[in-house]
Amino acid sequence: MKQLTTDVLIVGGGGAGLRSAIAAAEAQPSLSIHLLSKVYPMRSHTVAAEGGAAAVTLQHDSIAAHFEDTVAGSDWLAEQGVVDFFVKHAYQELVQLEHWGCPWSRQASGQVQVRRFGGMKTERTWFAADKTGFHILHTLFQTSLKYPSIHRLDEYFLLDLLVHEQAIVGVLAIEIASGELLQILASSVILATGGAGRVFQFNTNGGIVTGDGMALAYRHGVALRDMEFVQYHPTGLPGSGILITEACRGEGGILLNKDGYRYLQDYGLGPETPLGQPQNKTMELGPRDKLSQAFWHEQQQGRTIQHPQGDVVHLDLRHLGQRYLLERLPFICELAKAYVNIDPVTAPIPIRPAVHYTMGGILTDAHCATSIRGLFAVGECASVGLHGANRLGSNSLSELLVFGKVAGEQAAAHCSQTKVSDAVMQELTDKAAGPIRQLRQGDGTEQWADIRQQLAQTMEQGCGIYRDEQGLTASLLAIADLKRRYQQLKVGDSGLAFNTELLHALELGFSLDVAEAMCQAALLRKESRGAHQRRDANYTKRNDKNFLQHSLAYYQEDQAPRIDWQAVDCSMMPPAARLYGDAAKQQAASTSEKPV
Amino acid sequence: MKQPETKPSDMQHLSVAIQRYRPEQDDTPVWQSYQVPYDDSTSVLDALHWIKEHQDSSLTYRWSCRMAICGSCGVMVDGTPKLGCKTFLRDYPQGLKVAALANFPIEKDLVVDMSRFLQHLTTIKPYLIGEPSLVQAGSASAGSDQPSSAALQPQLQSPEQVKRYQQFANCINCGLCYSACPQFGLNPEFLGPAAIALAHRYNLDSRDQGKAERQPALNSKDGVWSCTFVGFCSTVCPKGVDPAAAINQGKIVSTMDGVIQWFSPKQLDATPQEPTS
Amino acid sequence: MSRKPYQPSMPADWWLKHPAYRFYMLREATVLPLLFFIGSLLYGLYCLSQGEASWLVWLSWLQQPWVMALNGLALVASLFHAFTFFRLFPQVMPLRVGSRTLPAGWMIAGQWFGVLLVFLALWWLLGAYHVIN
Repeated sequence: MKQLTTDVLIVGGGGAGLRSAIAAAEAQPSLSIHLLSKVYPMRSHTVAAEGGAAAVTLQHDSIAAHFEDTVAGSDWLAEQGVVDFFVKHAYQELVQLEHWGCPWSRQASGQVQVRRFGGMKTERTWFAADKTGFHILHTLFQTSLKYPSIHRLDEYFLLDLLVHEQAIVGVLAIEIASGELLQILASSVILATGGAGRVFQFNTNGGIVTGDGMALAYRHGVALRDMEFVQYHPTGLPGSGILITEACRGEGGILLNKDGYRYLQDYGLGPETPLGQPQNKTMELGPRDKLSQAFWHEQQQGRTIQHPQGDVVHLDLRHLGQRYLLERLPFICELAKAYVNIDPVTAPIPIRPAVHYTMGGILTDAHCATSIRGLFAVGECASVGLHGANRLGSNSLSELLVFGKVAGEQAAAHCSQTKVSDAVMQELTDKAAGPIRQLRQGDGTEQWADIRQQLAQTMEQGCGIYRDEQGLTASLLAIADLKRRYQQLKVGDSGLAFNTELLHALELGFSLDVAEAMCQAALLRKESRGAHQRRDANYTKRNDKNFLQHSLAYYQEDQAPRIDWQAVDCSMMPPAARLYGDAAKQQAASTSEKPV
Repeated sequence: MKQPETKPSDMQHLSVAIQRYRPEQDDTPVWQSYQVPYDDSTSVLDALHWIKEHQDSSLTYRWSCRMAICGSCGVMVDGTPKLGCKTFLRDYPQGLKVAALANFPIEKDLVVDMSRFLQHLTTIKPYLIGEPSLVQAGSASAGSDQPSSAALQPQLQSPEQVKRYQQFANCINCGLCYSACPQFGLNPEFLGPAAIALAHRYNLDSRDQGKAERQPALNSKDGVWSCTFVGFCSTVCPKGVDPAAAINQGKIVSTMDGVIQWFSPKQLDATPQEPTS
Repeated sequence: MSRKPYQPSMPADWWLKHPAYRFYMLREATVLPLLFFIGSLLYGLYCLSQGEASWLVWLSWLQQPWVMALNGLALVASLFHAFTFFRLFPQVMPLRVGSRTLPAGWMIAGQWFGVLLVFLALWWLLGAYHVIN
C-alpha cells in the first residue's frame, strides 16, 4: 500500500472541488493540496449543467430580491443566514470566473448578458450559451493548472474516510489503473463528491453521480440533511433522461400537452403569457417542483403524449427561430437531433421530468464544516442550507463557487500537524479496506447490475414526484432486501487493473445507503413541501406547525436510519404562502399597500 | 443507464466486436464478438452497458454523462474515433468493431492512458495570463446593496471578441483528435490538436496577455510545425472545434513570430557586436 | 504489478488503413507528377539553350503518348491539389468582414474564380500569340 501525506485533501474534481482547491492554494500557497477524483476533473458532472449561474447583476435587481426568490423557492426550508451570505457573494464569484477566462455570453456593449430563469423575479442568470457548467468546469480546471501546490490524483476512487476521535486524519483510496490502495494522511479533507441522482431510474445525471461522499460521511455519523428533497427537472429527454435546459423556457420556450394546450395555467402558474414574451415566475418560468408536479397531473389525466419511450409533453421552441436558437441554445439543438432525432427549429422536443438534483446532503454549518473535525463538504453532496425543499435553477453553479471558496479557505486554515500514531492509522486503514476486501473475495451469487437496476426502479416507484406511506414503506423494504442481497455480491472481474465492476459494486453500496436515507426521511415528513409531495389524505399541504424543520438522517447499521429534526433559520423572512404567476403579483401588490 | 423499452428478446440483434486487452492475462489485444439487442436509439455506449450487465461484467470502458459533453467515452468504431454515446448502432447495419482510442497506450479493454495528453495540455498554459484590465470596469454593477461592488468588475468583451475564440473553447478533451492524428501516433511528444487549439483559444482571447509565454512551446519542433495538415482531427471532432484550423492559424502566428524575432533589436543585441559608427 | 499498458505501434502502412489517410497521402502524392512536369520544363529550357535542333527534339519528345499522359496527370494532380488547398484555405486564414467571418464556401468559390481568371488570361495570351503568327 502506498502512502501520501498532504495538508488539504479535496475529494471530487467538479466545480466545487476545483474552486476549493484554488481557494486553498491562494489562501496559503505554501500548503500542499491534493485533488482526488474518480474521473479526470473535466469529466465531473458539473460539465453537464447547461443554463447558467445566478447573481444579482442588473441595476433594478437587488440582493433582497434574490434572497426572497431563493427562500420562497425553498418553501422556507432554506437557512436564511446562509442564503443571505450566498446572494451577497455570488456576483463576486462570477466576476472572478470572468477574470479567469470564462466565456460568458455578452451584450453588444461588451457587458455580461443575463437571462431569465425559473422562480427568479428578474434576469440574473449569467450564461455561456447553453454550456455554462461545461465552461465553468473547464475554466476552473484550466486555471487550477496555474497553481504548483495543487497536485491531482486523477482516477483515484475514495474507499473510506479515516476518522479518529471525531477528527479526520486521512482517507483510504484506490488507484483505479493499478487497483493499489493509497493511504492519504490529511488533517483537512473536503468532500465535493456531487449528488446521488443515479439512485433513480430516470435522471439527468452522469453515471458517476452515485452519492459516494454522502454515504461515507453518513456511515461515520455525520447527518444527511433534507434527503427527502430530490429535484425532478421538468425537461429531460424520454428514455435517456438527458437534460434539456431550463434556459429553453427562459428564452421563451413553452410546454404543451397532447391538445397543444399550455397546461401550466391550470396549476397556479398562469395566466398564459403571450408567445415569445416570457414573464418571470409565471407559466413556464415557474419553479421546477411545480412544473414537474403539473406533468404528473397531466399524465394522470391522460393528457400527455405517447412516445415510444414513455409519456411526454412537448417543449416548443419553434417560434424562437433558427438564428436565435443556434446562438442561445446550440447544445440543445445538437442533443435533440442526436438523441430524439428532432430539429427544434421545425418540431417540438418531447420531454418528461427526470431526477436532476439532490437538495439534501451532508450536514454542514455555514462554513462548510461537518460534525467531524477537519472534514468539510461542499457542492451537491453537502447541505449547507441553501436550497431547502426546492432549488432554484442557476443557484447551484453559483453555490459551487461561493461555498467552494469558503470550504477551501476553511480547510486551509484548519490544517494542522497533529499526528496520529502508526498503530491507530493501521487499524483505521484495515477497517476502511474491509468492504473492498470483502467484495474482492466475495463468492455470492448476486450481480451488481441487477441490484442497481432494482434500486432505481423502487426509488422511481416509491420515492418519485408524488409519494405516499404505502409506496415509501414498500421501497424501504425493497432497499433493506437489496442491502441483504448486496452482502452476497459476486464481482466477476477478479483483476486488479481498472476494475470498473468492483467500483460499480462499491458505488452501489453507497447508493443503497443514500437511497434508504431518502426514503426514510420522506416517510417521516408527513406534509407536502417543495419537491416532497405526499398523496396521503392529511399530508397534501405544507404543515409549518410540525414540519418547518430540517430532517436529519443518522446512519444505523442493519436498520433504516434514525431521523431527527432540526430547527430552520427563519430569522429574516417569515414563512408565507408560496405563490407564482398572477397570484404572486396580487400578493406583492397587497403587501406593498400595507403601511410599513 | 438506459434500458431498451421492449424486451431484448423481441429486438433485432447486431454483432458488436470489441477489442479486449486484459493486462493481467493478455500480452496483446484480442477481439471478442457479442450479439447485442438494439433499436433506433441504441448508442455504442448503450451496447457496451448491455454487454457489461448481461454478458461479460469485466468489459472495461470509461463513461459518464452519455450526452456528449464529458468526453469520457471515446473509442474507435470501425477504425474511426467516435464518442460512444453519440454513435448509434442503427448506422452500422452490418455490425461494428469497437476498439480503444488509437495512438494511446491501452490500460485495459477500451480504456487508454491519457496522461500524455494531460501533460501537453499543461504545457501550453491554458489559462488567462496577465492582470484583468479593470479600467474597463463595466457600469452594469449590481444593485446598491452589493457589498464591495467596486472591488471586482467584469472586463468588457464584445460578442465579436467572444466569437473569435469561442469555437476553440468548446473542446471537451475527449482525445478523438489525438487518435485521428498520425503525427501524434508517430511522435507522442507532438503537443497535438486539442492542446494547440486551446493555446490558440487563449491567444485569441481579448483578455489575455500570455501569448509570449505560450509561443515557445508552440514554435518548437513538437509544436505547430509537427502538423502536416492531415485534417482528420477536425473531421472527427464531435464538437466542431476544428483543431486543424487552430494549428494552421498557429503556423502563421509562429512564422510572424520568427520574422519579428529575426528583425527585432533584441535578436541583434543577443549577438555581441562592436558598435558601428 | 497489475498495470501493463499495451503500447500500440504505428504500422508502416498506417496510411492505407483509413480513407481519410489515403486521401491525405493522395494529396501529398500529387507532387510526383508535378515533379515530372517541372523536370520536362527544365529539359525544355536546356534544349532551348542548345539551339533550334535540340528544341525540336524536345517538342517531339513532348508529343510522345507517355509524356503527354504524365503531363496530363500532372494537370489533373495540380487541379486536385488546388481543390484540397482551396478547401483548407478558409480554415487557415478565415477572413473577417466587420464582425462576421466570410463563409468558407464564398472563399472557396473566390479561389476557383481566380483560377478561371488565370485560365482566361492564358487563353487570351495564347490566342494573341497565334494571331501574331
